[in-house]
Amino acid sequence: MQETFTDFVINTKKDGYSCPFSLEISIQGFQAIVTELRKKRFDTWDWFSLARCGDQLALNQQQSPELLALEYLKERWQQSGVVPYPHQIMTAKQVIGEMQGQAILADEVGLGKTIEAGLVLKEYLLRGLAKKILILTPASLLWQWYHELSEKFGVVAGIQRTQWDWEYTDILIASLDTAKREPHAPIITSIPYDLLIIDEAHKLKNNNTQAYRFVNTIQKKYCLMLTATPIQNDLKELYNLIGLIKPGQLGSYRSFKERFVEDKRTPKNPQELRKLLDQVMIRNRRDEGAVQFTKRLVHPIILSLTPREQEIYERVTHFVQTTGRRAGYTNILPLITLQREVCSSFLATAFTLEKMMVNMAQEDLAIAAGLLKDLAEVKQNSKCDALEKLIGELEDKIIIFTEYKASQEYIRYRLEKAGYRTLAFDGTLSRGKKQWIRYMFQKDAQILVSTESGGEGLNFQFCNQVINFDLPWNPMRLEQRIGRVHRLGQERDVHIYNLITKDTIEEHIMYLLHQKINMFESIIGELDAILLHLKLGKSFESEIMEIFLAHQKQGEIREKLDLLGEQILHGQAQIKASSWELY
Amino acid sequence: MKGGIVTITQLVFNFLSLCKLEPVHIRQGVWQVQVDEALMKELDGWRAQARLLQFTFEQKLAESYGAELITSGSYRLNTILQVIRKQGVLSHAHIPHEIFHEPSIRKKVLQNIGFDRRAYVLNSALHYGQYLLLDINVTQLGLDKVESIHHTTINLSTGEVLNFTLPPHLIQGGTTVPKESVLKRKCSFKQAYANATASICSELNRGDQDWIKQANHKLASEKKRLAEFFEGTTTLSQYEAKLKELEHRLTPKIQMDAIRGAILYVPIFYYRLVVVEPGGKERIQNLYYDPISNREELE
Repeated sequence: MQETFTDFVINTKKDGYSCPFSLEISIQGFQAIVTELRKKRFDTWDWFSLARCGDQLALNQQQSPELLALEYLKERWQQSGVVPYPHQIMTAKQVIGEMQGQAILADEVGLGKTIEAGLVLKEYLLRGLAKKILILTPASLLWQWYHELSEKFGVVAGIQRTQWDWEYTDILIASLDTAKREPHAPIITSIPYDLLIIDEAHKLKNNNTQAYRFVNTIQKKYCLMLTATPIQNDLKELYNLIGLIKPGQLGSYRSFKERFVEDKRTPKNPQELRKLLDQVMIRNRRDEGAVQFTKRLVHPIILSLTPREQEIYERVTHFVQTTGRRAGYTNILPLITLQREVCSSFLATAFTLEKMMVNMAQEDLAIAAGLLKDLAEVKQNSKCDALEKLIGELEDKIIIFTEYKASQEYIRYRLEKAGYRTLAFDGTLSRGKKQWIRYMFQKDAQILVSTESGGEGLNFQFCNQVINFDLPWNPMRLEQRIGRVHRLGQERDVHIYNLITKDTIEEHIMYLLHQKINMFESIIGELDAILLHLKLGKSFESEIMEIFLAHQKQGEIREKLDLLGEQILHGQAQIKASSWELY
Repeated sequence: MKGGIVTITQLVFNFLSLCKLEPVHIRQGVWQVQVDEALMKELDGWRAQARLLQFTFEQKLAESYGAELITSGSYRLNTILQVIRKQGVLSHAHIPHEIFHEPSIRKKVLQNIGFDRRAYVLNSALHYGQYLLLDINVTQLGLDKVESIHHTTINLSTGEVLNFTLPPHLIQGGTTVPKESVLKRKCSFKQAYANATASICSELNRGDQDWIKQANHKLASEKKRLAEFFEGTTTLSQYEAKLKELEHRLTPKIQMDAIRGAILYVPIFYYRLVVVEPGGKERIQNLYYDPISNREELE
């Protein structure tokens, strides 16, 4: 007898139930059985019985109240040295059990929000509750997510490349900026997702943005939003974020304002608000002892330039100051670069100066040409001499950070000449090449010379020595450098060696970052929020440059930097006071 | 191999034995087995190659000898389970007629003819009726997810669903049943599936329904909250979309899907009877007796 499934209607009675529910009877499995039957493909009874036992065993595992993912990943984690922290396991359990998969994971920086989200994702996959999964992240984190999922959770996700991927890839990682644009957005919003994960979710704090509206229209069963800073400037940001996962949790905006907002940054009825937040948001804090981080040990290495180097440094600084003042502090970006490069290497300075000369005023051209000639003539590099000496004293793997590609090449040239095997890492490398170099560094080479953009999005916990060949002026960039090695999974204390040239601008930067805001030894955390809070109106680098241009006396410069440092610390305290009391 | 509850150890050794592999016990609690490329690919994906698989069921031994740990939730157990569960989608088996004591059946059949009538057997034969064994996975999705597997047996002659599970020891794999003695089924497979799911529904109906109440309660409170949020706004389409999303997530559901099936041939005893009525009139009647359903069918 032939079976047809098009008119297959199953008569089932729901009447006996006292409450409404939906009944879904799938014919997929039954169809497979009938297909086998038609083809007369019978398995032996032994296989059938074994498969039945397998079904039962798998089911028993599924019914376990514990996280299945933990058992499943135990071996993988043993091999790769991953140790889940209790707060991460608790968070995953809470998200799945109490929050029905709708949560904001707002742990402080470095506590492993990605691990928590990965655990939830894996658990949903193992329990068969999620199949179609979308992860939206900033573009720079795409590969990091890919590797975290693959290495730590055995989940092979796809990285979105074409518009077909949305439909045909079950677990997809994509950039939020790409996703929100045409032609992708309409495709995404037409797909019902089982799980949506949004990393760096604070980018959705404003409900008038395209990104917010786009995410709000994505159909999702479960949703995780990851951010270390759910509030940056305004309580409304938090309200908006929660509106994305659970609209109505804090009432309408009007009632929210009435009940909970004293002013933009100060909550009213914090206890009551916290109760509501606890239902949708989890925030683990470092000072609650969630994780014991290893130490950061700072070793400033102060070195003196040779008289010839010092003379050229002074001349370049003088050139930058006069040109900058004349320009009225506008368009000073090339000058900032020049001033920073002169502390790094003369080779980098020469390249930049040469480029600048194309558009230079006639009066400066002669000075610049003289400088360029002298820069090219200097064969000595005291910083590199010091670097060679330092590396000679160190064992184990080392990452050397520099801001400039020219300096990177020069460092590699010097080190290779001295007999060291080095690898280079920079922003121009393809993602695949970066991964390969990371692998080579882990397995083979001792030294990696990296520019900051090169290191972005990749973690090197297997290395615990960082040399800052030059110092970035922006504390955010410095934190990103150190954060490559000093994060969860780092088992050893991290040694940070800073090469500082005496009597140069670097000494002042070191003072600001190290002595004033103690940037190296403590993770300031929410730095981006703090810098935003300062409302400088320009980049942090420009702020520092202006101080240098406006003041010549060392005491005055120090005073101004003190003030800037105070502002940073004050901003940090203010942010904590206004919002953190909620959590 | 008979059905029933097995331990992980039994499951793994049965699996290896069915794959015609013989593990070597190299030291207390640790085994080695040479797995060919085809099976390794099934287990670990297309990149895998043939290799010597060293395994144990104890955590300590796994660490000491670098053996793969096979324990609840472990990676290796899961890969083995995946391979096992892909097999046996359809099978066939039979219940041998020798299990039943034919003279007793004959006696019972003749007794059932009635007090005022007499009957004797003119001739008899052995036929086989068809049953469908269906394993149906039932998922109850409320605030939590609860899964269960229901082993149903449907009589393909009557469409009736047995209200008991056949003892596994009665069933023998394969079929030595002669084709000509198999009775045609009168119930379609899809009707059998429909009957099986209906039977499970009524079984669930008799069970605990608190999970439905809890999920509905949660759904109602979330709906109320959502309605308050959108009150006075003009974004009706947004409200409807969010409401749909909410209902999709929180409405309690029962999902059913068949995972494997088997055709079971069951002996049917056929008797051609001469029935003598109280007046002495004789009639010839055909009687089929199904010992599994304990059902007689008189023609």
